[in-house]
Amino acid sequence: MHVAERVKHDGGKPAAVPAKPSAEASAPGGGRRRRAVNREGLEAGRRSTRIILWILLAVAMVLYGFPFLYLLFTSFKPPIDTIAVPPTILPREWTLENYVNALGRSGVPASFINSAQTAIISTVLSLVLAVPAAYGITRYKTPSGRAFIMAALVTRMVPPVAIGIPLASMMSSVGLADTPIALSIAHTTISLPLSIWLMASFFEAVPKDLEEAATVDGCSRLGALWRVVIPVVSGGIAVTAIFAFLASWNEFLFALLMTAIRSQTTPVVIANFQTQFGLDWGSMTALAAVYSIPVILLTLLLQRKIVAGMTLGAVKG
Amino acid sequence: MRITDRRFALYLMAPAALFLAVFVAYPLFRLIADSFFKISPIVGGPRDFVGLDNYVRAFASEDFIGAGWRTLAYTVVVVTLEFALGLGMALLFTTLGRKSQIWRTVFLYPLMIAPIVAGLLWKFLMIDNFGLIGTLLYQAGILSNPNQIGWLSDPDIVLFSVAIPDIWLTTSFMCLVLFAGLQNIPGDLIEAARLDGARAPAMLFRIILPLLRPVIAVALVVRGIDAARAFDTILIQTNGGPQSASETMSLLIYRTMIRFGDPGLASAMGTIYLLAMLAIALFAVATIWRPGKDS
Repeated sequence: MHVAERVKHDGGKPAAVPAKPSAEASAPGGGRRRRAVNREGLEAGRRSTRIILWILLAVAMVLYGFPFLYLLFTSFKPPIDTIAVPPTILPREWTLENYVNALGRSGVPASFINSAQTAIISTVLSLVLAVPAAYGITRYKTPSGRAFIMAALVTRMVPPVAIGIPLASMMSSVGLADTPIALSIAHTTISLPLSIWLMASFFEAVPKDLEEAATVDGCSRLGALWRVVIPVVSGGIAVTAIFAFLASWNEFLFALLMTAIRSQTTPVVIANFQTQFGLDWGSMTALAAVYSIPVILLTLLLQRKIVAGMTLGAVKG
Repeated sequence: MRITDRRFALYLMAPAALFLAVFVAYPLFRLIADSFFKISPIVGGPRDFVGLDNYVRAFASEDFIGAGWRTLAYTVVVVTLEFALGLGMALLFTTLGRKSQIWRTVFLYPLMIAPIVAGLLWKFLMIDNFGLIGTLLYQAGILSNPNQIGWLSDPDIVLFSVAIPDIWLTTSFMCLVLFAGLQNIPGDLIEAARLDGARAPAMLFRIILPLLRPVIAVALVVRGIDAARAFDTILIQTNGGPQSASETMSLLIYRTMIRFGDPGLASAMGTIYLLAMLAIALFAVATIWRPGKDS
């Protein structure tokens, strides 16, 4: 039984590169490291050991899973029960009151629209800038390309608080203060360097012959990129888009510095709840849940792609 | 006429480069320039050149030195704990093999939660009086009173408490990266070590960790940079308090700017912070990561 299980094991691992471009494209090419297989190695053999390990895993899962479940449970408690002493885990009675309160508060529905708008604009902007740049870096290997990708890495080390304030004053001097556009640009300063690195890794896996063949057939270089290369890396583009979207959806510091009434995003509204309405924990937990659930569902749905993106840089070293 | 490859590559990179120049490099330039001025917080207010005065004030300020040490301590605590927990989970998933796949997926979820929500959530769990953690520890008989530990109100431990959401949020990231690294260790190597009689600790410290070195290095550098910039989770939990005991660099700079209205001083602090981050990160990249040398 163990043997059969071990043979199947390979299917479960997160591919370091999304399956499509790499597996098909570079399989015959020489020099690619053989896939390491450790199904003989690290899997625990003895039954008693495995049982102990499963128990450990269950404990870890409860510890990691519980905090968010508690937030969900709390959001269904009657408002007064959310600060009961001693606290209870499950609601005494289940109610949607907190949701009605939170979502009905002025500015809350608008903040969802602002968050979505900002995240979408920032994602599109990141992709439009990162895809050609990453292609230029990986396909042509020029000294300026190498310098540029290092500069992008350095950008990751810039603390947002350091550029947030000058950036905010720049935006207001060109009349973009308190708009989703200004915040999208700020978020793109975070997601663009990451997008360039991710896309560069995806382009790295595309063989050169592909667009060379296309140019021989009469395609221009731009045409080859658009019609041949982009479709091959579309999986990678999707991964990059998810990361850019999440970065913007969850971002807080820039949103705090650069938005006021018109373009406030939901994280800022959640933070403001504390000061404006005292201890309205019920509404806060309800709003936090509504804001988190779509991205959690999205993640569980697209987990393979997300895992690929997260492990890509690190594992390639 | 056909343009050269080099020029074509340049055209492809130009828009992104221009964007980063305008929206990252230029604000940084403004930050550094502002650090030499005494600036009135009022728009259009006076702006006097004061040379290095802001830097002298920053280094003379107890708040600044304190925030520097706290940021360092916070980063070390967060990265160490999440590395230990992430490695533990990654080894657990690896030894359990294929059947653990669904749990690996579930384990991803904290990563998707906004830091502000995570901070709020843990504040709610740790807060005095109606925080659940104190109550559970009390019911388990570990504490004699649910409020015995003032997670967020005791200046001695608050820096650790505010780190918990950060650790909770990103252990999954460590775990995933290390798990992927573990998958790439050749099975025959492990088998050979096992035949040589290596037991679990020796296997871990002599075989697995050295082989994972490049992966570990990248994960530590990436997470270290992020932890050193922590803002959201701390702001919502304690706003830097009590008595500045959880005030890290990002919070101090933010408050210096917004609350105390001193853009010149805040810019000097931001510049020092940025330079320190760059120096430490580049040092770490050069010494422990060594891109390209490990493969």
